[in-house]
Amino acid sequence: MKCPIETPENAQLLLAYCTRKLNAESTAIIERHMEICPACRQFSSGQRAVWEALDAWEAAPVTVDFDRRLYQRIDREVSWWHLLMRPLRPMLVRQGLPIAAAACLLVVAGVMLQHPASAPPAAQPHSAQVETPQPDQVDHALDAMHMLGEFSYRVRGGAADSKM
Amino acid sequence: MPERVKTDMGGATAALDYDAELMLRVRDGDGASFGLLLEKHRSPVVHFLYRMVQNHAVAEELAQEVFLRVYRSRSSYEPTAKFTTWLFRIATHLALNSLRDGKNERLQERLDKDSPEMPARQVTDRRPSVEQTMVYQVRLDEVRQAVAALPGKQRAAVLMHKYEEMEYSQIARVLRCSESAVKSLLFRAYETLRARLAHMA
Repeated sequence: MKCPIETPENAQLLLAYCTRKLNAESTAIIERHMEICPACRQFSSGQRAVWEALDAWEAAPVTVDFDRRLYQRIDREVSWWHLLMRPLRPMLVRQGLPIAAAACLLVVAGVMLQHPASAPPAAQPHSAQVETPQPDQVDHALDAMHMLGEFSYRVRGGAADSKM
Repeated sequence: MPERVKTDMGGATAALDYDAELMLRVRDGDGASFGLLLEKHRSPVVHFLYRMVQNHAVAEELAQEVFLRVYRSRSSYEPTAKFTTWLFRIATHLALNSLRDGKNERLQERLDKDSPEMPARQVTDRRPSVEQTMVYQVRLDEVRQAVAALPGKQRAAVLMHKYEEMEYSQIARVLRCSESAVKSLLFRAYETLRARLAHMA
């Protein structure tokens, strides 16, 4: 077996061995290797010392009024929010839509007042490209007007004949 | 034995842990489930934060903030990860912020003058001699200083690995980094600790 300290992957294995997270098979392999490798023995004893030192560090128990203080904070937060929303609630429930519409109008009006010149830039390129009618288009239009005039004259003439 | 439920999350079926199930009940307005979560995770969270910031008052204050955030987020809670991953992510975030801001240092000075953090256990449990108590205190101080000397993320990784017995993958999710980054963090952290504490063997 290659010395665990020489490769990072095997060093992880040795760390797992020291924290007793290795399976029996791997543990046996590591232990056999440590019999002939002083570097790994030193690593292992150092890591065990760290582990035991950390074991000795017990945290103090949580104070007895921890929950009470937490629930107080939760209540305070909830009641503060309720207090803030109480006068608005009936309006929001009954007149939610008109209020929302009014708010939207206000926002739109505000935006328009703040940016009055925001619309023209979009229209500018459009006005620059004014279409000029082609001669054949003018001819078509004149023909159509002529036909319409003739039709109108005949209709009126037809009406006069029927009256007579 | 906690009951486990299955839920469909984004097409993949994932088993929910019991805590996530409780949190879903909290989301639906069940206050008692929040009490159960608090009962179960209060000590681990406070102890983790205590070892992170090394000040009991600050740790409890931060732990209160952790649970308050959990409660506030109940309506938007989605069980996309283990509940403890989410919980310790909040705790780690707050602890690292507190360390960065140096909030606990000012309080530490005041508290150190007032009282030692853990006098009761050593005196009442086994009634050690004054000498034993002093030796214990010296060793404990050494351990605390060694851990305090670690960079924030290394410290959090070691504490979650050692005391919460979390797998590399879960630590990675808490710290939002890769599993190999966690292995590297832990290896460097233990290397530093070995250099400082190996003589205790």
